[in-house]
Amino acid sequence: MTVVELKGLSKRYGSTVAADSMDLKVEEGEYMCILGPTGAGKTTALKMVAGLIDPDSGQILFDGKDYTKVEPESREAAMLSQVYSLFPHMDVNGNVIYGPRIRGWDVQESQDIVDNMLEMVHLNRRKDAFPCELSGGMQQRTALARALASGSKVILLDEPLRALDARLRIELRREIRSLVKAMGITAIHVTHDQEEAMVIADRVAVMRYGKVVQVGTPKEVFDTPVSPFVANFVGQSNFFTGKLVSNGDYSVVENDMGINVKARPCQLPIGSEVVVAIKVGNTQLRTEEGFLIGRVERILYEGVTIHVDVMANGKLFSAKLPNRKYEEFSPGDEVVVGWSADEATVFPMPEQGLEEELRLE
Amino acid sequence: MSLTKRIDDLSSRRDIRSGWFGIITFFFLAFIILPTVYVLIYGITDFQNLSDTVLDDPETMSLIWGAVFTSFSLALLVTIIDLIVGVPMAWIMVRKEFRGKKLLDTLIDMPLAFPTAALGFSIGIFWGLPIDAPVPPGALGIIASPYILIMLLHIIFTYPYMVRSLSAILEQIDQSYEEAGMTLGASRMTAARTITLPLFRAGLITGFILCFARSLSETGGTFIALITIGQADKFFTGPTLIAWFKRSTLAPEEVEAILAVVSIILIVTAIIFLLIIKFVLGRINVPFDKVWPRWERVLSRGMVPKAKDAISFVWLFAIVIIPSFFIFAYLLVPSPAEMDWSGLINALSFSFMVAGVVTLADIVLGVPMGLYIARHRDKKLAQIIDSLVNIPLIVPTTALGFSLALFWTSQDLVTNITFLVIMAHIAFTYPLVVRNVAGAVMEVDPSYEEAARTLGAKPFATFRTVLLPIVRSAVLAGAILAFTRSLGETGATVAVSSEANTVPVYIVNLMNSGDYYLAAVSAMVLIMVSFVFMFALRYTIRRDGGGY
Repeated sequence: MTVVELKGLSKRYGSTVAADSMDLKVEEGEYMCILGPTGAGKTTALKMVAGLIDPDSGQILFDGKDYTKVEPESREAAMLSQVYSLFPHMDVNGNVIYGPRIRGWDVQESQDIVDNMLEMVHLNRRKDAFPCELSGGMQQRTALARALASGSKVILLDEPLRALDARLRIELRREIRSLVKAMGITAIHVTHDQEEAMVIADRVAVMRYGKVVQVGTPKEVFDTPVSPFVANFVGQSNFFTGKLVSNGDYSVVENDMGINVKARPCQLPIGSEVVVAIKVGNTQLRTEEGFLIGRVERILYEGVTIHVDVMANGKLFSAKLPNRKYEEFSPGDEVVVGWSADEATVFPMPEQGLEEELRLE
Repeated sequence: MSLTKRIDDLSSRRDIRSGWFGIITFFFLAFIILPTVYVLIYGITDFQNLSDTVLDDPETMSLIWGAVFTSFSLALLVTIIDLIVGVPMAWIMVRKEFRGKKLLDTLIDMPLAFPTAALGFSIGIFWGLPIDAPVPPGALGIIASPYILIMLLHIIFTYPYMVRSLSAILEQIDQSYEEAGMTLGASRMTAARTITLPLFRAGLITGFILCFARSLSETGGTFIALITIGQADKFFTGPTLIAWFKRSTLAPEEVEAILAVVSIILIVTAIIFLLIIKFVLGRINVPFDKVWPRWERVLSRGMVPKAKDAISFVWLFAIVIIPSFFIFAYLLVPSPAEMDWSGLINALSFSFMVAGVVTLADIVLGVPMGLYIARHRDKKLAQIIDSLVNIPLIVPTTALGFSLALFWTSQDLVTNITFLVIMAHIAFTYPLVVRNVAGAVMEVDPSYEEAARTLGAKPFATFRTVLLPIVRSAVLAGAILAFTRSLGETGATVAVSSEANTVPVYIVNLMNSGDYYLAAVSAMVLIMVSFVFMFALRYTIRRDGGGY
């Protein structure tokens, strides 16, 4: 199987930077998710790996060999686009056998592979159907079967679940992962849905402005984000600014209202301007023993969880709590906002300000 | 190794791909665009000669300006009339369901299948007062003015272009806008006028330009209609002036100079005029906002809409269909005792050979060009080629033919008439194929081709197995259009050489020598041949349309 490596890839369209000296290494048989907001350059990166877009500079390596100038058909990297692109003039069988046929494999062998693939995606009964006769989910599975049957060593998935409804999305992402894993193929999957990325990937690469900001397992990216942007994009966070007062087993930050709060230790000099981020799910609301006193603004019942907005020290804090606490709060109540010190991350103040750092486009 | 396999492999190499594209671009620029406008270069380099022989001769110049003015005023008038009768007809075709709609659809396209040379004859004997052609029973013979006669002729073959362009756009405008307007209190007419018509502009411009260019360019039918009523040496449009001088007995150098001046004036004014149309129609602000609720309500109800539809139908039959088909009444005229078919057979085989070679060249060189334009819209070169492709469509074919012949012969490159005729026909049919293919490919999501490439298909294999099957009907439509246009073209052929013997030219020659019966038979044969191709076209498109 194949190790895919992107080295210093850059691509511009006029004044828009789609890839800015981007680096990423995807290991053999790994399922890598590229996660980022719209316009971060995820699809451009994927198409450069596929060979459909030429980078302005930088290299693409497959197993250490330079593939930058190799034509798409020789890369053995099949792409599955968000619109599936099933050939409208071919039936399901014709679509799935396209790869083996175009590569000139033995006819009987090809048909066996295709039958096997169709079995795996539960479409063996719809072999003769044309794409327009299939539901969205079936089209998606046909496209997946087509990509997997082509003998590719890498599969590139460009928002493959975007056009499906929520329930089907959850079902299919599990199916995609297990099929890809079963075949041992290296996968690069692009999405803007952080939840999808977390559950499907071995590792997640968070992208922004054409650069990879952080690469790590879902847990690493969620628990130890490298920047306020990652903290907010992967699982929503509460933020406030302040000054670093002391550093030790835990760090102490004085917020803009002069109140000291605790957070995880950091490497920053005492007295520097900092940003503190606490995941919404790690934010607690108590009656005593917390850091900031605030008032409940509104409560939303979300099913398993409830969402509570609290105004404290002129800042809005959100918290996700189990639904059994629904009765405990009502708007106007005074509450104390708290968190455990090792769940609050301290970042240096971003150069362009916090608001700019958190922007999604 | 099979041929397709070998091409597949070659297409995988970037250098081969750019080489092939280079060849195609070179062909397009050097053998289509340059010859088409070569006469302009000639005009600059040989200006002294032109000014001595033609420009300083007030008599010839007034003849030329008169003809050019006639051409432009005719084209403008015809286009405006088409617009007035075309809008209600397009409305009927898109927004109404009724029995026999398919038949009506076919009838509207009919004039496209009629070679204009045949139409000219038919119109001449139906409306006009023929000098010595035998007139079949049923002819009206009420139009003495050559201007009105030619106008009636041009209305027939431009009418389908207008109705088609308008209904193509109308189909894309969702009816829900109008319905929303009506639920907000607008009468049917107010809604159509204030909501749909402003969205119509693109179709208006396309229809306007197509009709105008076609009318400006037409030679064969106009010339034949004028011969029929004995006005060919008195009444001229720009193109017929070229055709007439080409046959005159003046000294060749003098003829060449005169034709060069006419061609230059036609080409330059046509391009300027069409740029103006595009600019003005695109920007003009018709006061659509004003509303007259009461009057428009009255006009939306009762007899008025019915009368409007009725007039559209009457127009279609009385002005377009019946006069076109009138030539078949010649079957009622007693035939001369002896007929010499050999001339017709020779002309037919020459016409078919030319049209065949032309169509093949158009496909081989035009399909890749259409593909390139559609898939590289962000590149400057593609945008430039995209605009250049339209030039041969706008330039009157007679001027084009003359310019092209001048290009090849003045350098003593080639003087073979068959070659020149083929090159001239390629020049004005090539854009039809490129436009059709580019338009169809733009509608196809490039992700199909991208998916095929990542699945292991080489570029040519991708084209063969994925793109071509999807756009097949557009390629076919372009090919058949090119074939029939080549078959029916008179102006470009005559301008290349008065000796090139295609069927339309053969018909003109027969008419000139008074052999009307054989001319009518030849015209009917040409119509039948074109019909076969048009029905083949409709059949393939309809079958493909319902496929997936």
